[in-house]
Order: sequence, then structure tokens, then C-alpha cells
Amino acid sequence: MAEETLTRGQDGKRRLSLRDLTWSWNPATPREAGDAVVRNFLLHWFPNKVAKASIASRYSMWLGVISLFLFLNLTLTGVVLMFLYVPSVERAYGSIKDLEYAVSFGRFLRALHRISAHLMVIAVFLHMVRVFLTGAYKNGVLARQNRRLNWCLGLAMLLVTLLLSFTGYLLPWDQLAFWAVTVGTNIAKAVPVAGEAVRFVLLGGHEINQNTLIRFYVLHCVFLPMLLAGLAAWHLWRVRKDGGLAARDRVALGERQEAAPPVPSKTYMLLGIASGRAPDVQTSLVDPERHLVPAVPGLLRRLLVVALVTFAATSALAIWMGAPLEAPANPDVTPNPAKAPWYFLWLQELVTVTTVRLGGWTINGALVGGVIVPGLLLLWACAAPWLDRSGPEATGVWFHRARRRANGIFLAICVALIVLTVIGTFLRGPYWNFYWPWEAWPAHPARY
Amino acid sequence: MSNGPEHTPPAGEPIERRALLARVGVGLAGAAMAAPLVMSVRSLVPDALYEMPRRIKVGPPDHFADGPTFLKEQRVFVFRAGPTFHCLSAVCTHLGCTVQLVRKERTQGGQGVEFHCPCHGSKYREDGTNFAGPAPRPLDYLRLELAPDDGQLVVDLAQTKDKGWRFTV
Repeated sequence: MAEETLTRGQDGKRRLSLRDLTWSWNPATPREAGDAVVRNFLLHWFPNKVAKASIASRYSMWLGVISLFLFLNLTLTGVVLMFLYVPSVERAYGSIKDLEYAVSFGRFLRALHRISAHLMVIAVFLHMVRVFLTGAYKNGVLARQNRRLNWCLGLAMLLVTLLLSFTGYLLPWDQLAFWAVTVGTNIAKAVPVAGEAVRFVLLGGHEINQNTLIRFYVLHCVFLPMLLAGLAAWHLWRVRKDGGLAARDRVALGERQEAAPPVPSKTYMLLGIASGRAPDVQTSLVDPERHLVPAVPGLLRRLLVVALVTFAATSALAIWMGAPLEAPANPDVTPNPAKAPWYFLWLQELVTVTTVRLGGWTINGALVGGVIVPGLLLLWACAAPWLDRSGPEATGVWFHRARRRANGIFLAICVALIVLTVIGTFLRGPYWNFYWPWEAWPAHPARY
Repeated sequence: MSNGPEHTPPAGEPIERRALLARVGVGLAGAAMAAPLVMSVRSLVPDALYEMPRRIKVGPPDHFADGPTFLKEQRVFVFRAGPTFHCLSAVCTHLGCTVQLVRKERTQGGQGVEFHCPCHGSKYREDGTNFAGPAPRPLDYLRLELAPDDGQLVVDLAQTKDKGWRFTV
């Protein structure tokens, strides 16, 4: 057995490494490493080789991968929860109570699902921040890249992630759920012309009842997850088509002078040679010995470690924090204060402070803060790659000097959103009045 | 479809049979795919609703005390001043939470009421006028009437009235 854990080093001699204790297989040649990808069904979508720059954790921090694993975790726990949850206004709350107190491990599964959802919002957001600050939405030096499209796909996925969270916390049919639907669908109603009809279709009527619950249930369990899975597949496919992470383009850029002329042992695209921009020619610019490692085990081992850490962290947090449940939904009493989950409190702050009064005209904050401001932010974010005039040398590197202004604006927006979230979370009390954390809230009637 | 643009006849001339059939085929395929989509989306717009009636009997007029009474199921405040009634909707005009009645000491003495919203902090005066927070307009005045059969007060949630509207029994 000991013989098999020995692997050949660069010089062809066998050596024992510490790695062999946890990973019994080590390819001896690049060919063997490539075969591991090609012959394995689970790995068939892997590249043959990845750039060391791409898998450096200080570059990507693995935030996209973490998001993907959290989504996987949410899908698995979500399917189990679907067996135990009843989407009916009479029984939804009771089935969540059962999960908490009567179902074996129900409390853990629900907490795991909830904490994974919260972490996914954080991970997806941070992933977006990372991509922006490294200029990774920019095309580098390879041909047929379309990172701008992939950036927009990512923004769409951020939106779907938030919609999944929104539809998810409605399902327990507690006070949080009921008043969140009330406010959420009234924001939709504030849209001119179509708003009323949109709200009617979302609720399945004029008021929040069984029609509403079943609609949000199907959106949460079927429609939005499938949409997200489709977008994620497209997103990852584009990462492959763009030649890996943007950090790899920097490697290619640095190696440009070392370009070798086409060699007869390789296949080139004719037009690619003529224009000098075919991916095959450019890929050959990256010295494989110095900059590339086989995806198996180089990438695979890191993915498994990230998955392990993600699952361990979510499990620990789930046990530590649990999942809260408010009083059953009561259309007669609005909780005071009625707070959204933390990741929507910036929006609650925005709709509170953005009612505009001009003379006799009043525009509801629901339209300004709930629709127009987030819409403009999203529009700006979508347009950012086209507005960015910096050269390819600013691609795939943190805080490049050429992108100082773009990064500044982006960070200012992020900080503003975080400040609004903090105000909403810690500094708002009854009737949405402002209170410092050390100020006691006045006594007020909690219910009629 | 294999015919290139060079085969497209000038306007006014009959088009080739193949091109015509291809166009009809594509059109039919498109219609065949669009129809179930339209039907699916339309089916989600409800035609029959099982909701609370919009006109609700809330009890005989003399059962109401003077001043405001909150009816939580209907989400309205019914005000009485002798024989005169009026009804304010408790639905915040900002984003639809239920406003709460807050009693305030008046500077001139006596008590007045205000309505405060717990969701985003909108504030309304006793007559429904919004004076603080994000609310874009005053609370709605709702129509009151007497039921012809048993003389109970009836609130019509679907019919708003002008500000200051009163109903005298």
C-alpha cells in the first residue's frame, strides 16, 4: 500500500509527500492529469489546466464558488423542507412550528437553510464587489471574450438571489412574512400604469391570502431556483469561454513578448494567426510550465476544501443561531416597528426618506426609493463595463490605478448601502423613529 | 428559407411557393408556441375571488362611542360626534401598513389623536392629513351608509370620499 502512495517528482524519481496522507492519487504526467478530467463524468466541465493566478485565493477569495456551494446546500435542504412544509395559510405556520419542535433534526435543517440563504446574499454581494474592484468585468487579451455579458448575468443572479430570499421568508406565514408581502407588493403597486395589475397578479387578488402564499411558494421552490441554476450554468460556461478568470489575462499580458511562432504540432485557426487574436495562439503565450497547473488535482482539491469549509461554517452557524419565528400572521396588527430582514433594511430606509414634495406635487417614496433609485443603481451597474475606459492592463488586478475613479464611486455606493442597512438594523425603533443603541425605546402598545 | 435575398421578388410580385410555405410554417410554429404561453399567463390572473366583501356591516350606529373606534378586521377608524359619523381608512398611504392611533395632549388643552405608521414612520392628524414621514397623501375617507334591512352602519372599503366627508344618521 505504501508503494502506491509514492509519486514521481519532476525528475521522475519517486518521493513521498505530506499531501499523500489526504490525497492518495497524484498524476505523474500532464497527460494523466488531463485524462482524469476527460474520463470523469463529474469533472467533464472542468478545464484541462488552470492558471495559478486564477486559483490564488487572495485574488478571487473563492466567493463565486462559495455562492455556488451555498446554493447547492440550499437546494438540498430546501427539497427536504418541501416534504415537511404545507403551503396553506391555515397550516403553514403550524408546519414550521412542527419543524422546530416535532420533527427530528427539523430545527437544524431549517436553521441550515436560513443561514445558508443569509450567507449567500453576503457571498454574492461580496463576489460582485470583488469582480468590480479587480476590473474582472473587462475583456483582457484573448479573443471572443464577453465578460461584460457575464457581469450582467451576475447582476441578474444577485437580483434572483434577493428575490429567493424575499419569497423564502414569506413562507412561514408569520408576522414578518405577512407585512413583508404587504410592503413588497405595495412597492410593486407604486410603479406607474402597470403597478396595480402587477400587484393583483402577484397576490392573486386584492388581498393577501391563500392565492398569494401558493404563488410565492411556487416561485420560491420551482421558478426562481431553476432560473438561478440556468443563469449560473450560463455564467460558468462564459467563464470557461472567456479563458478563465481575469487574472489569467494579466499573466498572458505579461508574457506577450515571449510569444512563440506557431508550431506544427498544434492546431491554429487561420484567421487567428492572421489577426494574432485567436485564443489558441494567445493561450500558447502563457508558459504552461510556469503559470499553469492541471485542473485535477490543482483546482479540484481547492474546490473540495472550499466546499468543506462552507458546509462546516454554515452548520456551526445554524446550530449557534437557529432560525427565529415571529407570531402567526395577523392582518389586524402591524408589528411595531415592522422591520424587514437586514438585507432589505437599506431599501426600507430608502422608501422612508425618499418621498419627494415639489409644491403641490408629491411622489411616493415607494416609487422613488423602492423602484427608481434601485433601478438606476442596477442600470448604472449594468452599464459600468461600457463606461470603463481603462485599458486591458487594468483587467484582473485589485485597485488598478487606471480604475481609481470607478472603484471610488462603486465603493461609495456600497458604503452608502451598508450605512443605510446599519441605521435600519440598529437605530430604528417604534414608529420607525431614530434611537441610539443606548437609548431605551418608549413604552408603546404592542397590539390592540 | 434556403433562397437567398437575390431570389426575393420585388414588391407587388407574387412570392415563390416555397418561400410562402416556409413563412406560413414559421408563423404557425410561433403561434403554436405563443398560444400556450398566453394561456398560462392569463390563467394566473384570477377571475373568481373568494375575498372579504368590500361593503361590510359594522353594527348599529348607537353602539359606537363618541370619538374614534378602531375596527381591526376592516382596518378602519369610525368617528362619531353625536349623530354625525365619518370613517377613515387605517391603511397607510405610503406602503399599506396599518396605522396606530396615538393620543396626544393638545397645547391648547384637551386630547387629540394622531395616527402613526409602524413601518416607515408616517404621521397623520386627526382629520387624516399627513404631516410627517414618507406618506404622500392623507388617509382615505371611506363611504358610510345605513343598511336598508336592519339599520346597521355599513363601511364601503371600495368607495373613497373627499376629505372632511361626513355622514349624518
